[in-house]
Amino acid sequence: MELNINGKTINVEAEPGMPLLWVLRDELDMTGTKFGCGVSSCGACTVMLDGVATRTCTLPVGNAKGKKIITIEGIGSEVDLSAVQQAWIEHQVPQCGYCQSGMIMAAEALLDEIPEPADDDIDAKMTNICRCGTYTRVRAAIHTAAKLRSQATDLFGTI
Amino acid sequence: MLEEIKKRKIFTRRNFMMTGGVLTTGLVVGVAGLNSHVNKKLKKYTGAGMGDGDSLNAWVRIAPDNKVTLAIARAEMGQGVYTSLPMLVAEELEISMDQINVIHPQPESPYANTFMLTQKEPNAFKGYSMMEKLYAYLPIIGTGGSTTIPDGFNNMRYAGATAREMLKQAAANQWGISRSDISVDNGYVINDSSKERLSYGELALAARDIDLSELPVLKEKKDWKVVGTKARRLDIPEKVTGGAEFGIDVRKENMLYAAMLHPKVIGGKITEVSNLSEIESMPGVKKVVLTQYGAAVIADNTWRATNGTLFMETVEDGAGNEAITSEIIQERLNEILDLEPIATPESEGDVDAAIAQADNPIESTYKVPYLAHATMEPLNCTVLINNDSAEIWVGHQATSVVLDMVSQQTGIDKSNIKINITYLGGGFGRRGEPDFLNKAVAVAQEMKGVPIQTVFTREEDMKNDMYRPAALSRFKAAVSDNGEILAWDNKIAIQSVSQSALSRIAPAMAPKAKHDEATVEGAVHLSYKMNNRRTSFGDYQSPIQVGFWRSVGSSQNAFFTECFMDECAHAVGQDPYEFRLAKLSDTPRFKAVLERAAALGNWGAQDSKYRGIALHKSFGSIVGEVCTISKVGDKEFAIDEYACAIDCGMYVNPDIIEAQIEGGVIFGLSAALYGQITWNNGSVVQSNFPDYDMVRMNVSPAIKVHIMENDYYPGGVGEPGTPPAAPALANALFAATGERVRELPLMKSGYKFS
Repeated sequence: MELNINGKTINVEAEPGMPLLWVLRDELDMTGTKFGCGVSSCGACTVMLDGVATRTCTLPVGNAKGKKIITIEGIGSEVDLSAVQQAWIEHQVPQCGYCQSGMIMAAEALLDEIPEPADDDIDAKMTNICRCGTYTRVRAAIHTAAKLRSQATDLFGTI
Repeated sequence: MLEEIKKRKIFTRRNFMMTGGVLTTGLVVGVAGLNSHVNKKLKKYTGAGMGDGDSLNAWVRIAPDNKVTLAIARAEMGQGVYTSLPMLVAEELEISMDQINVIHPQPESPYANTFMLTQKEPNAFKGYSMMEKLYAYLPIIGTGGSTTIPDGFNNMRYAGATAREMLKQAAANQWGISRSDISVDNGYVINDSSKERLSYGELALAARDIDLSELPVLKEKKDWKVVGTKARRLDIPEKVTGGAEFGIDVRKENMLYAAMLHPKVIGGKITEVSNLSEIESMPGVKKVVLTQYGAAVIADNTWRATNGTLFMETVEDGAGNEAITSEIIQERLNEILDLEPIATPESEGDVDAAIAQADNPIESTYKVPYLAHATMEPLNCTVLINNDSAEIWVGHQATSVVLDMVSQQTGIDKSNIKINITYLGGGFGRRGEPDFLNKAVAVAQEMKGVPIQTVFTREEDMKNDMYRPAALSRFKAAVSDNGEILAWDNKIAIQSVSQSALSRIAPAMAPKAKHDEATVEGAVHLSYKMNNRRTSFGDYQSPIQVGFWRSVGSSQNAFFTECFMDECAHAVGQDPYEFRLAKLSDTPRFKAVLERAAALGNWGAQDSKYRGIALHKSFGSIVGEVCTISKVGDKEFAIDEYACAIDCGMYVNPDIIEAQIEGGVIFGLSAALYGQITWNNGSVVQSNFPDYDMVRMNVSPAIKVHIMENDYYPGGVGEPGTPPAAPALANALFAATGERVRELPLMKSGYKFS
């Protein structure tokens, strides 16, 4: 089966019913996307599927065929961080860090959809569980990321 | 020998340590003076995994390129120890944080957590007491009880200071000048007169064998440049890219994955897998194994292994526990409250007489349920067993427990077991337990030579936890018209956490229920002035396994005592803040925290909001919290804000402390609003987040934190934020509704939060 992951075409051998999460983690060793609950409740396994924040622990890989899959590994690296990742560092968001891949992917999708989200938007869209309780910092970091993104756009506009 | 001590009935956690010290005299690592202590006594470390360079002591290794590797033998489970401990070293070693690389060393003597057991300020470089030497000899290396900073505060600074002086001496030897004519700056040694510079990396080899004749004097607090600052966490960059490796992310060549099906009934046993061959013919399945802990499916992928367990048909022996239900547990706890207590850890004055004389004694019973840890990363452990060696990859809170358990279970000599501690996706006490190691080892023993990662599904994780126990607390009090507490009587019914947990983690140390200090921690020695007081408890014996859950006894005792304090205040028509304040004149640190929290939370503000307050000391730190709520509907409230003040003595990284208090509040709130594990037919009813929910963004309040400034020795910060969260909220609900909710979770009383 051909999958489009982080802009690359990747061939995997997996039964179509296997959740995308386990294809990523165990077949492709892309372990940034986490297993938390297996029932689409906690959001640790969130990736973007054609731009939409999607929980992959219950998503059959067959349903991801032909769609653009973006995982945590695809949004930036330690030397080339996305605005969301920069804001996450700025606000020192992660504690144990286990939920943060999913949290960040949900934030990326939120900002793609609503570039300047209000607190109510954040409440509505950020439904992931963080057991360490980083929510106040996640909220602050999303607001900062929104600013960073708009500055980057301005900068691009002037060039 | 230990059996003898037990028979003599003097066996408690503490006096085991005393007798243990005597038993092992002659075996303990010898203590010599001053620096020889560091170089000789604490020489029992290999520096394994510390990379290039030369070790100046057990914690510090410096490579020729001036990169400093620090051995941090505490689990990084979100509380920031891979940053806070390095800050203490960096302060004295005079290096920048970005020069530092952190590794988690093998469990060796110098890394013992002596504070966890002695509760005494340790100082390895000045010399250990007999008991501390025993812990270092064993060694006991763990992360828990909010002890990392109290344990490491001196040791890590001396690790940096002695290494610095050794480097200076090496340079002094090279330049033929006195060490006093040399200064250091950011990883370099400088000749004060010639201004010549040498990097630490250039000097490490020569410095390695230098024996200092005296222990360096540590910097005074006013001279700190790193400690006390909001230094950025070293672990965060890799935690925002998905690159941080948790136990579940370990990938080894040829490794396989296993899923385990536990017995349905607590304490039960799966005796047979009836459709074994059917399971083994499923896609990707390599083998089905039956262990004493449960049946496991080994496959080439976690999902395929899990599928195998879902289709498994088993025969099970319920061990007689099939009848356990929450109702039966509740009845028994109620009965225990009416029996003679097994222990009365605190009794001052004549409580009974004072209550008998009172006109309107107040009486209330409080109730909390079992709770699961529900760490974000489901439990897992990767194990490779060879003929006479083993390697483990796991996020665990205690390397010494890992080593002991794996050696015991496999018979493999400890020197042939390698432990790789990864990041922990949450710990909260759960990852100090050995059960998930034992299970993973049992599976891996069935397929030697292959690394096998055993992963619990969320359901298996939640149904096979070591739970925070259910408990009852019955109060009687007499309060005078002017608000004096004439008598305070608190009787608790609970299963002993320390007895249950230590019987698994460190059996020789498991106390009897009557000696379990965790039962009454946070319920005795309250800071408030009381004329007569008594706290006693009864013991609930159960096959249910209970364990250390973030803030342990304080997790329920703060709810009990701080809500009942509120009741006492309202009973005599006093403001709950003023009522508390009036009783704190002899405990000024508590008074200052309460005042600060009240000011931060706008206590007494004339607005449309409702406030509740709570004050509690746990793990050496005092925390006051004011919870502010708004009514949004019938029995529906928005939790607007928590204002928190913490006195944790001297602090290392205020940003990490703020984060721990923020997280501690949320952890306490999740339990207060939703948390309950219930039992039916000997099994846990809840199985996953839909029926064991957590606070999420929409409910999460704003949280303000103030850290008190003083020079006391540091207390812990990982747990103390949790205990006051529930009582502050319950007290705010009373202010809003006039209804005193005496049972958690609050959703059981029909409350909703948004």
